[in-house]
Amino acid sequence: MSERLVVIGGGGAGISAATTAKRVDPSLRVSLFTEFADIAYSPCGIPFVHGREIPRFEDLFLSTVERYVEDGLDMRMETVITDLDLDRGTITARNQPEGFDKLIVCTGFHWRRPDVAGANLDGLHYVKDIRKAMEFDKLLDQLRTVVVVGAHPVAVEMAGNLGHRGLEVHLVDEGPWLLHEVLDPDVAEPVHESLRSRGVTLHLGTRVEAFVGDDGKLRAVATSDGEIACDAAVIGLAKEPNAALAAAAGLRVGTTGGLVVDDHMRASRDGVWGAGDVIEVPHGLTMIPIQGLTGSHAYAQGRVAGANAAGEDRAYDPVWVPWGMVAGDYTIGGFSFGETLAQAMGIPYTVAKGVGVSRARYYPGATKTHVKLLAEPGTRRIIGGQIHGGEGVKERCDFLAFAAKRGATLDDLAWMENIYSPPIGALFEPVAIAAQNGLADLRRGEATPEQAPKPASAVPA
Amino acid sequence: MSAAADVRRRLRERAEHALRQAAMEDLRRQFPAATVAPYRDRTDLVWRALFVPLYRRVPWSTKVRVMEALRMTATRAGWSRPERTARQPWRPPVRSDGSAGDAAR
Repeated sequence: MSERLVVIGGGGAGISAATTAKRVDPSLRVSLFTEFADIAYSPCGIPFVHGREIPRFEDLFLSTVERYVEDGLDMRMETVITDLDLDRGTITARNQPEGFDKLIVCTGFHWRRPDVAGANLDGLHYVKDIRKAMEFDKLLDQLRTVVVVGAHPVAVEMAGNLGHRGLEVHLVDEGPWLLHEVLDPDVAEPVHESLRSRGVTLHLGTRVEAFVGDDGKLRAVATSDGEIACDAAVIGLAKEPNAALAAAAGLRVGTTGGLVVDDHMRASRDGVWGAGDVIEVPHGLTMIPIQGLTGSHAYAQGRVAGANAAGEDRAYDPVWVPWGMVAGDYTIGGFSFGETLAQAMGIPYTVAKGVGVSRARYYPGATKTHVKLLAEPGTRRIIGGQIHGGEGVKERCDFLAFAAKRGATLDDLAWMENIYSPPIGALFEPVAIAAQNGLADLRRGEATPEQAPKPASAVPA
Repeated sequence: MSAAADVRRRLRERAEHALRQAAMEDLRRQFPAATVAPYRDRTDLVWRALFVPLYRRVPWSTKVRVMEALRMTATRAGWSRPERTARQPWRPPVRSDGSAGDAAR
């Protein structure tokens, strides 16, 4: 009899792992277990349906359960795995143990719950499950005020979209500027302005101290800066790996709380792989494990895990993390890390900055594109950067992440070729402008390497 | 998750939080109009007063060696550090007689 592969989890990683494994080895019996009723949809699109940028939740679906069944997958919907026994090679679902030969763990993430009083009140919402989002969307028409707690990118997208829908939105976060975990302060102002223009009131440097309710239902959020009356709260603090089942089964967990895997997505036991938000993978420069990346990372990891479980030999590279999003109406992005993270870690860098335009300057719709590159002093190899403005942020971040991975230097970028076509590209490429400026600063001695260790007195106690 | 793994996770989280807060304090001074002081928890005091200054005194190259030695990087889990070697710049092709092509003249 052919071998049986069990995939736990039906998100991007799980579905790509299962379909890839079946494609590589059609004789493999592949079963996919998910606790949810739906599969193959884009949860990242949920904020934009709430904001009515996208008309219907149904538009977020990419495929159907029936389609995967036709492709030969055994789909176990709304089935929670309650026990995993790696020694016996069994999972238990609905009190029935079932055997497996190979296993791929793709159990994803859960949102960090606020550790304050009232966190179990009715009226707190988390952006993850599309069915819950559909219910929340129906409620939104009856609500007036929503508090968004935390500044995870999804939380910022929710704030901007709920504001766009006409609700009064308050965003509460402890950080000194929005998205401070990924974004540098030089980009803060346009991001803040864009959200304010959508009706979002920002409460930065502010801590949530409690959720206040009557009869079990939320009516206000108590903060270090006073109480905010509200009808609902959206929580977007941090994504945490959903690794409890795997950890209880004895799989090794790393310092992020994610499963430890190698470059073939193999977990710490033979015959077990992991992929997606439940695992940690190394950053390409530091090799320090990180987790909580994007859906495209999850999908790619799932393909590697699925192919290897089916007998192939595929490796996954350390990551350079291109990212991008629209905050309000303003597009921001980056790769690897910005100044804030580089400075926090103590990584030496020089900065190269430039501003260009997205199309020929005379062509209607041209927007400014701001580029900031971080490079290693000495080698001038790029190690990170941020881009903001209008068009082309995503493509430049993708390109720069790849260029950094291949060791590109400021010199390489300064003299890169670029497309000049008035409707889609200007004569001078903004990335090249930034790199040329950085080289000029270095020649003049103006770009002094950052991150000489700071004296203790510089650290406010 | 084992107790030891949970302790390692919490230690990393606290250390990163303290370092990020210190970096944010430094960087936001350049943009006072667009930023505010981050919320600071009194329980962070030890991390701010002891750990951050100590960490900042250690050069990055030493930090890298220490992290490798303490098995804090993914190399312990079967990942290899990518080479990131910049490719040689384009050069004109060499003729079969060993001389450079026209483009080099």
